[in-house]
Amino acid sequence: MESGKKVITRRDFIRVGSCLTMGSLVGLPLIGSVSAKKSEKSRVVLIRDKNVLDSRGQLSESVLQNMLDTAVTALMDTQDPVSAWRQLVTPADIVGIKTNVWHYLPTPESLEVAISSRLLDAGVKKENISASDRGVREDPVFKRSTALINVRPMRTHHWSGLGTLLKNYIMFVPHPWMYHGNSCEKLGAIWQLPHVAGKTRLNILVMLTPLFHGVGPHHFSSRYVWPYSGLIVSRDPVAADATGARIIQAKRNLFFGAEKPISPPALHIGAASTRFGLGNSRPDQIQLIRLGWEEDLLI
Amino acid sequence: MKKALFVFLILQTVGYSWPMTTQKSRAEDLDVLSRALPGQIGVWTAEPGDRVYDSETIFRYIDGAGEVYRAYNMRSCLSRRYTSPHAPAIVLDIFDMGSSEDAFGVFTHDQDGRAVDVGQGGLFRPGWLSFWKGRFFVSIYAEEETETARGAVSELAKVLASLIKDQGSKPGLLLKLPPEGLQSRSIRYLHHHTLLNYHFYLADENILNLGQQTDAVLAVYQRSGKRAHLLLVSYPNEDKAAEAHRSLLRYYLPEAQSREAVLLEDGKWSATGFKNTFLTVVLEADTRPLAESLLREVLETLS
Repeated sequence: MESGKKVITRRDFIRVGSCLTMGSLVGLPLIGSVSAKKSEKSRVVLIRDKNVLDSRGQLSESVLQNMLDTAVTALMDTQDPVSAWRQLVTPADIVGIKTNVWHYLPTPESLEVAISSRLLDAGVKKENISASDRGVREDPVFKRSTALINVRPMRTHHWSGLGTLLKNYIMFVPHPWMYHGNSCEKLGAIWQLPHVAGKTRLNILVMLTPLFHGVGPHHFSSRYVWPYSGLIVSRDPVAADATGARIIQAKRNLFFGAEKPISPPALHIGAASTRFGLGNSRPDQIQLIRLGWEEDLLI
Repeated sequence: MKKALFVFLILQTVGYSWPMTTQKSRAEDLDVLSRALPGQIGVWTAEPGDRVYDSETIFRYIDGAGEVYRAYNMRSCLSRRYTSPHAPAIVLDIFDMGSSEDAFGVFTHDQDGRAVDVGQGGLFRPGWLSFWKGRFFVSIYAEEETETARGAVSELAKVLASLIKDQGSKPGLLLKLPPEGLQSRSIRYLHHHTLLNYHFYLADENILNLGQQTDAVLAVYQRSGKRAHLLLVSYPNEDKAAEAHRSLLRYYLPEAQSREAVLLEDGKWSATGFKNTFLTVVLEADTRPLAESLLREVLETLS
């Protein structure tokens, strides 16, 4: 029987070392502006409710709304969800809800509705709210936006390793393929573009039925999704993604009966932290608040 | 006869495939295939209007996964959906990869599944069949796996394989792999370092300077119960091979002073060498003799 002790190999070393090296060589900005924030732990709320999906996989809108409310309330440490949302946005804000329309695993429309509902409760005008994915560069609300809510399902991805909250902003650039180099490692740079930087108020990683492995050109098979029935909510996109990545990794290991690393490695999560200073990726820098259903939590 | 053999050996030495393999007949383009494809498979009917994507527009169709096909020099992709009121859709994608080598390469990207006798190599997994033939890679995906769908997918694959008349050859680089213990289903042919990392993580950065101008083959060996990975890369010229070798030594095997194997932190062995325009590295061999014998054998084939 194996001891389970992890041996650090030179491949691990190259992986860690290269991030540091690249950060110093490329001279990309940032660390200074976020160093204070990075010294604090990032709060991440993981909420699960097994009743959010029925036996046929149908989503319960009321349970989903309740999960969102509970998570945001816990994240912002308030008494009720409306108070929490009032800390995230003001009535003067113009809010873009950045969703994801990927055919096989889109952001649930009911979650977009739930978010819109709470934005309205917080005083944001209806005409100042829009949900979009591939149309964000043309959408009039997004073009005027002062705040963004980032929401998408987590899934494995052929080229970037994982489809993440960080990756969800790739539609804010005219030529997404320009960010595909080295497994999309530089996705964090998009978050620093003038029309995006500093606008994100909340990140919601949808873990209702995550995809933990993909096959074929479409990188999807219903064999590789499972009803995890969760949401991960944080103001820190890196911390939310890193938490989701740990769950996906754990599920892969469990399903395949052996360590099955996410391939290719999701370099952009670590780089978003070490190189672009967008948040915290290390577990010891994350305060994880677990709420709800605990069975098969995987983290 | 001797002259022909000499030419063959020269071509192999410099890394080219046998002339037939580089033949890129344009007789069977996607338009021709589109017109010849069946409009009906079982209860599924082709939706009107096939869609065709090139290496830029492919992202609209399959998101960032398009990079995998671009990394194999994809020229175009024809997509057709077969739908039925009684069953989930079947999605047919035909990729014109420009050469049989790259059609084979992208086929090796995912080697899971049960081998099926279709085209020049086919694999079946639940809901998904892929095969390659000539310069084409074909994917047929059933959005829900049922027995009826499985039959329709197989039938469509056979029809399509029969419509592609030309045979293609595998990359000549494969001929340089030592045969003993080679696990044929483990072979990956690739150009791009992200794809190398997909199959065997080496380093975040492209320390071997892989790219469109390089051909690489990664394979697993199993000898007497011992296992190793072998990577063989063909560069455009000797200088680039030597440069990549220096980079590998600097970042991955600084202890390697010769062709002797180096003991790694996890108790496995690695060995590397280069010859002419080729670089090879044995990765994580279970034993030192396996690492050194594999390296020696592959270097002998490069002479």
